[in-house]
Amino acid sequence: MADQTIKSDAGMFDVELLLKQARTYLAFGEQTRQFAERFQESLRSEADWVKALRQHFDLFREAMAQSAADPNVNPELARLWTLNLDTWQQAVTSLPPVPFALPDQQGAAWGDYQRAQADYLELLRQAALAALDLMEQRLHEQTDDAQPPGSLRGLYNLWVDCNEETYGRMLRSPEYSLVSGRLFNTLFACYPKDGIHP
Amino acid sequence: MIQFSPEQITEELQEFAARLAQGAKMLGEVGEIEAGVSPRDPVYQEDKLTLYRYRPRVAQPHPVPLLIVYALVNRPYMMDLQEDRSLIRGLLDAGLDVYLIDWGYADAEDRWLTLGDYVHRYIGHCVDVLRERCAQDTINLLGVCQGGALSLCFAALYPAKIRNLITMVTPVDFHTPDNLLTHLIRHVEVDALVDTFGNLPGQMLNFTFLSLSPFRLTGQKYVDVVDILDDVQALKNFLRMEKWIFDSPDQAGEAFRQFAKEFFQQNKLVRGEVMIGEQRVELRNITMPVLNVYATQDHLVPPAASKALAEHCGSRDYSEFSFKGGHIGIYVSSRAQREVPPTIASWLLER
Repeated sequence: MADQTIKSDAGMFDVELLLKQARTYLAFGEQTRQFAERFQESLRSEADWVKALRQHFDLFREAMAQSAADPNVNPELARLWTLNLDTWQQAVTSLPPVPFALPDQQGAAWGDYQRAQADYLELLRQAALAALDLMEQRLHEQTDDAQPPGSLRGLYNLWVDCNEETYGRMLRSPEYSLVSGRLFNTLFACYPKDGIHP
Repeated sequence: MIQFSPEQITEELQEFAARLAQGAKMLGEVGEIEAGVSPRDPVYQEDKLTLYRYRPRVAQPHPVPLLIVYALVNRPYMMDLQEDRSLIRGLLDAGLDVYLIDWGYADAEDRWLTLGDYVHRYIGHCVDVLRERCAQDTINLLGVCQGGALSLCFAALYPAKIRNLITMVTPVDFHTPDNLLTHLIRHVEVDALVDTFGNLPGQMLNFTFLSLSPFRLTGQKYVDVVDILDDVQALKNFLRMEKWIFDSPDQAGEAFRQFAKEFFQQNKLVRGEVMIGEQRVELRNITMPVLNVYATQDHLVPPAASKALAEHCGSRDYSEFSFKGGHIGIYVSSRAQREVPPTIASWLLER
């Protein structure tokens, strides 16, 4: 008897992953559109385009930084750089829930876990801000080489490349290894000491 | 600086939104996603393990069977994803008689399985089944990724049963400087993890893999897919890969505890200190011919981690094949289809 091919319907694919990213991309596009509008306006009055760029890129950066300080300011924009924390939280929701009635010790553990998450988020924020600096530098280099991005998607891809680069550096740092280890360990500590497995 | 106007951006965004709306409909209509395309028959089962034989594609396949030992992580259908992306099909076309261990999905019953169970019992039984079935004293073994590390342990403990050993993207030295997985697990309290959850939840493992390149793997990829939502074939290929990525079995607790601590954190394999059950694994006992296949851009198992086998194994017939690509590309890229199965097959057929 031949074995059956492994089959599934498209329902196994989480369409929400796609939609979330599409919304995030649209938010990125809207932010870029505002930036481009202001940039063009100031070019009409400002002869020094480098100065105009800096001024308006700073506004773009500020919008991103605001979403970093408080993801509720613009949650779709914030998702651009908090992706990894989202993936973590999705993984955590697949686990058995942390018991509600926490004894004191586990209450403290929950606090430790929240602090580890905040520290993790801070590392992501730093990498995202460094990526904006890198992106500005790359845009200058590409302009000098007469190869600036010709489309929104091109700009988005550049943004992704810059984030992967700064995130990759951060990922390889001893600090990331420590903080991500704490993220796991403090989560485990929220569960009863004798475990939750059958 | 930016060679497009606000109006162009608006237009691009509108086009994107329109493609997305149209494509969402297509996602609902795409139907079944199949993975694992080559016909195969179960020849042995034990607990959750199934040993499959792939139906030969030549009249007289090679008499010495080739047993593929895949990793416990993710599912082995990556090696037979679709008709034009199947290393298994390539090996069959080259005249080999191909068998594969499918580990199944570990659950609470498997929490106490040790590496001893996986190596001595599961791999050992499959090897013996094939030796008997094919009337051969020795068989060929192909270990993939973590399955390669388990195969090294088996070959070192039972060298008389293995004629040729092939390791593919297999970590040997877990402490090379560029080993990101070791870097990420270095400070994780593995005992607390296993004592808490029993088995390692597959989702936690998946988080670790995705966290290596989150902007591409969880962001850009889904923006790019909007471009192909109207192409059924391309969309199915994408969904097949997605299915594989998120098809992450839980890991049996005790086996994971030992693998994470002794292989990743303590690097005991190259120090000859790994104990599988009561027996010590000495890589220098691997004296059969060895072909070590690694990928030059492997972000999970860096080439240096694999190539360390050269200095630690005892084989006088040791060869390497350097594949230009990454850890996933070595299974599914067109280059892999052209290069990997013929290289493995010709190396085997010479021996």
